Amino acid sequence: MNIAMLNIMLCRFAGPFILLVLFASVVVSFLGYEVTAPVLWLDGILIILFFTYYTISQGLTFYVFRRILQTFFVLWVIATMTFGLLRIIPGGPFDQEKALAPEVKAAIEEKYNLNAPLYEQYGNYLLRIAKGDLGTSYKYYDRNISDMIADSLPNSFQLGIFSLILAFLVGIPAGVYAAANHNTVKDSTTMILAISSVSLPSFLVAAIMITIFTFKLGILPPALWDGTAFYIMPVVVLGLRPAAIIARLTRASVLDVIRSDYIRTARAKGLSETVILYKHVLKNSLIPVLTFAGPLAAGILSGAFIIEHIYNIPGMGKHFIMSVTNRDYPLVIAATLIFSFLLIISNLIVDILYTYFDPRIKLS
Amino acid sequence: MKIQNATKQKKQAQKILKKTTLLLFLSATVFIFSCTKKSKVDYDLDISETLRWHVATEPPSLDWTIATDTTSSHITGLLMEGLTRHGFKAAEVTTEPNLAMSWESSKDMKTWTFSLRQDVKWTDGVAFTAQQIIDGWERLLNPKTGAEYANFLFNVKNARAYLEGNIKDFKQVGVSINDKGQLIVALEAAQSYFPSILAHHSTFPIRKDLIEKYAGKWTEPGNHVGLGAYKLKIWDHDKAVVLERNENYFGKKPKIKYVLGRIITELSTALNMFKIGDLDVVDDFPSPEVRMLRDTKEYRLFSILAVYYLGLNVKRPPLDNVKVRRALSMAIDREEINNILEKEKIPAYNIVPPGLLGHDANIGLKFEPETAKKILDDAGYQDRSKFPRLQFGFNSSENHQRIAENIQAQLKRNLGLGVELVNEEWKTYLKSLQANTYQMFRMAWVGDYPDADTFIGLMVTDGGNNRTQWGNKRYDELVKLGVSESDKEKRKQIYFEAQRILNEQEVPIIPIYYYRAHRLVNARIKNYPQNVMDKFDLDDTEIIK
Repeated sequence: MNIAMLNIMLCRFAGPFILLVLFASVVVSFLGYEVTAPVLWLDGILIILFFTYYTISQGLTFYVFRRILQTFFVLWVIATMTFGLLRIIPGGPFDQEKALAPEVKAAIEEKYNLNAPLYEQYGNYLLRIAKGDLGTSYKYYDRNISDMIADSLPNSFQLGIFSLILAFLVGIPAGVYAAANHNTVKDSTTMILAISSVSLPSFLVAAIMITIFTFKLGILPPALWDGTAFYIMPVVVLGLRPAAIIARLTRASVLDVIRSDYIRTARAKGLSETVILYKHVLKNSLIPVLTFAGPLAAGILSGAFIIEHIYNIPGMGKHFIMSVTNRDYPLVIAATLIFSFLLIISNLIVDILYTYFDPRIKLS
Repeated sequence: MKIQNATKQKKQAQKILKKTTLLLFLSATVFIFSCTKKSKVDYDLDISETLRWHVATEPPSLDWTIATDTTSSHITGLLMEGLTRHGFKAAEVTTEPNLAMSWESSKDMKTWTFSLRQDVKWTDGVAFTAQQIIDGWERLLNPKTGAEYANFLFNVKNARAYLEGNIKDFKQVGVSINDKGQLIVALEAAQSYFPSILAHHSTFPIRKDLIEKYAGKWTEPGNHVGLGAYKLKIWDHDKAVVLERNENYFGKKPKIKYVLGRIITELSTALNMFKIGDLDVVDDFPSPEVRMLRDTKEYRLFSILAVYYLGLNVKRPPLDNVKVRRALSMAIDREEINNILEKEKIPAYNIVPPGLLGHDANIGLKFEPETAKKILDDAGYQDRSKFPRLQFGFNSSENHQRIAENIQAQLKRNLGLGVELVNEEWKTYLKSLQANTYQMFRMAWVGDYPDADTFIGLMVTDGGNNRTQWGNKRYDELVKLGVSESDKEKRKQIYFEAQRILNEQEVPIIPIYYYRAHRLVNARIKNYPQNVMDKFDLDDTEIIK
C-alpha cells in the first residue's frame, strides 16, 4: 500500500470514523446513558490523533509546538494576576457575620498558611500548581479542588457540547437559508427570530419554557440533570443565543461569498443551487463563524452560570461566581485557569481549522 | 493504463469501504451497549418511605467539629447526637438528657459532672465512650483543626490556652473521666446554662480512629459513622444527600425510613419542584411568592431565634450623642417595615427574641415620631440642615435594600433627616464594618444556643461582634451576673435591666424585627418539625400513605 492509498484511506475512512465515534458518544450521552471512561479516552485519543496527523501533514508542527509553549506562559501570567487580585479585594475567606475569636482566627490562618508573607504563599502555591495539585477548598473543608472539578466539569461539558451542536445545527442552515432568500419575507422572518433570540435574556426564556413545558404541558421536568428529558430545556435555552449569532454571521458571510466570481462560474456550469450553496459557498463562508466559535466554546463548556443555576445542573458555572463570593482562593484560581486553558486551546483549534477551510491561510 | 489503475484503486477502496462500514456498525453497537443507563433521580428509593427535602446548598462539611453553617448542622443533627439535646415542648427551650443521662453542678457552678449512657453504639457497632467526648473536645480546641466554633468551649478551664498553644498537654484542660466513668468538666467561670451548649454539634464526641484513618475523606458514605437517628447512605456532591434510618439508634426511632436531601441553590427552582410534587419540603422561597402562597395549606410560618438590627457607631458624630440615637430609634416604625416584608416578621424593640428567658416585648423605645422630633430638637438640631451627613451601610440584597430605603424614607418623613444609603458586596461590607466606615449599618444575629446570653452577650464592651464601639460597665457586669445566676426569676430581672440600658437608655443598636422562617410542607407529611432553633428532628414526623 503506497502513501497515496494511505491518504485516501485516512480521508475516506478515518475522518468519518472519528466523527461517527464522537457523534455516537454524544447521542448515547444525550439518551441518558453514562458514557464510560474507556469510551471517553477513545474519543480524546481519536481527536488528538486527528489533530496531530493534520498538524504534521500540513507542516504546522513547529507552529503548534510554539503555541503550546506560549500557553504555559499565559497560564502563569493569569495565575499570578488572579493570585494578586484576590489579595487586593477586601474581605478574606474566613470573614463572616459572626466575628471569630482572635485565637480561633489565628489558628485558622495558621492552618491554611494565610499568615505567611505573600511571596511565600505565592511561591508555595506556584509550586503546588506545577505539581498538578490544586489544593483543598476553604469553603468545603478538606475537599480536593480536583475532586470538585471532576464532579462538576463533566456536567458543564455535557450541557455545553449539546448546546454547541444545537447552535451549529440550527444556526448555520438558518443563516444559509436567509442568505439564499435574501431580501424576502423568509429572510426577514429568520433574522427577526435571530435578533429576538439574541436580545431575550436567558433567564426569561428559561422561565417561559418552564411555565409552558412543565406547568402547562407537563412533559418536561423543571430541573435536575439526569436524562434526556432533563437535558432538553437547558440545552435549548443555552443554545438559542449562539445559534442566533451564528445564523447572523453565516448570513452575512454567505452573502459576501455568493457574489464572488467562482460562484457565478459554478452557476454557469449549471450546478444546482443546493450544491452551490452547501458545497461551494458554505465552506468559504465559515471563517467568521469559526472565529466566533473559539471563545464561544470555551465560554459554554466551562459552565453557564445562569442556566445551571435555574435548572439546578451540578456544573462548573456556580464555582466561578460562588468561589469569589466565598473568597475560596484555591477554587477561584482553579476555575480561572480552567477557563483560560479552554479558551487558549479552543482558539488554537480554531486557528488550525482555518487552514482547512481556507487553504490560502498560512500559519507560521 | 492510468485510467485502469485508477479504476482498480477505486474498486479496492470500495471493498475496504464495505468491510469498514460493517466494522464501524459492529463497533458502534458494542460501544452503545458498553454504556450503562443511569437512573439517579430518586436513587432507587421507595418514595412512599422517603422524605424529599430541599437542601439549600452543598453542605460545606459533614464533619460536626468543623461545620458552622445551617445546612451542615441540619444534616449532622440527624446523623449525630450530643450529651444533651434541646426540647421544644415548653414555652421556653429546655435542655434534655441525651448521651448524658443526668448531670449536676457544684454549688459555684464551676464543676459539672455528667453521667453517660452505657448502652450506646456507633453505626459501625463500636461502643460509645466518655473518651470519645474528650477526643472531640481536644480536636475542637486543637489549633491544627482550625475549628471556627472552638470558642464554644472557651469557658472550660485552660481551653483557650490550649488553642493558643500555651499549653501542650490536653490533660491540663478542664475535662476528665472519674473512676465511675462520669465526665467531669471544670469551668473558668460559673455558667448556669453550660449543659445547653453541649447540644451543639461542635461539642459532640468523635471517632478519632476513623478520622485518623480516612483524614479528609472520613465524612464520605462508607467511612462516616454516627450515633444519630439516621446514617449517611449517599452523598452525591452538589446533587443530593441520602440518609437511611439507623435501626440501632438509642433514642426514639423515627418513622420515616429515608431522607433524600436534594441540593437546590435557586429558590424558585426548588419551588417549581415542590409545585409538581418532586419535593416534600422547601425551606425557603422567593419573597414575592409569599402573597400567592400564604393562604395555602402547605405554608408554615414560625419564629426562630434571630434578630435584625441597625448598629449605630457611638464614636462617630452625630451618633455620639445619645439623644440622637434615641430619636432615631423612636422615629422608625417597625410595623411599617414589617408590612413591606409581607408581615412575616415580628417587630422588635429589644434584642432578646421571644421563646427565651429574658424576653419582654414591653422593653425598648416604641414608635413615637413626635417625641422623637422633640428629642432631636433638644440634641441641638432644631435646624436640620446642620445635622451632619449620615451614612447607612448594608450588604447588597433585595430585602436589605427595601428595608434601608424604607428607613431612609421614614427618617425623612418623621425627622426631616436625609440619610445616604451605601451597599456593598458581603465580604467587602464586613471589611468596611471592621474599619468603622459607616455611622449606621445593618446586621443580624442568630442565636447559637437557646439562651438570652447569646444575644445579650453580643454587646459587651469590645465584644468581637459588637461593631458599634459602645461599652458600658454596668451592662458588662449584668452580662456576667446573668451567666452565673441559676435562679430563673433573678436571671430574668438581670436581663431586663441589661435590655433597658441597651434598648432604652443608651441605644447603640436599633432592633428592627425578630425573624420568622417560612416553609412549604406537602400535605402527605405529618408533624414536620417546627421550632425556634429550626432543629431538624424527625422523631414524630410521618408520611401519610
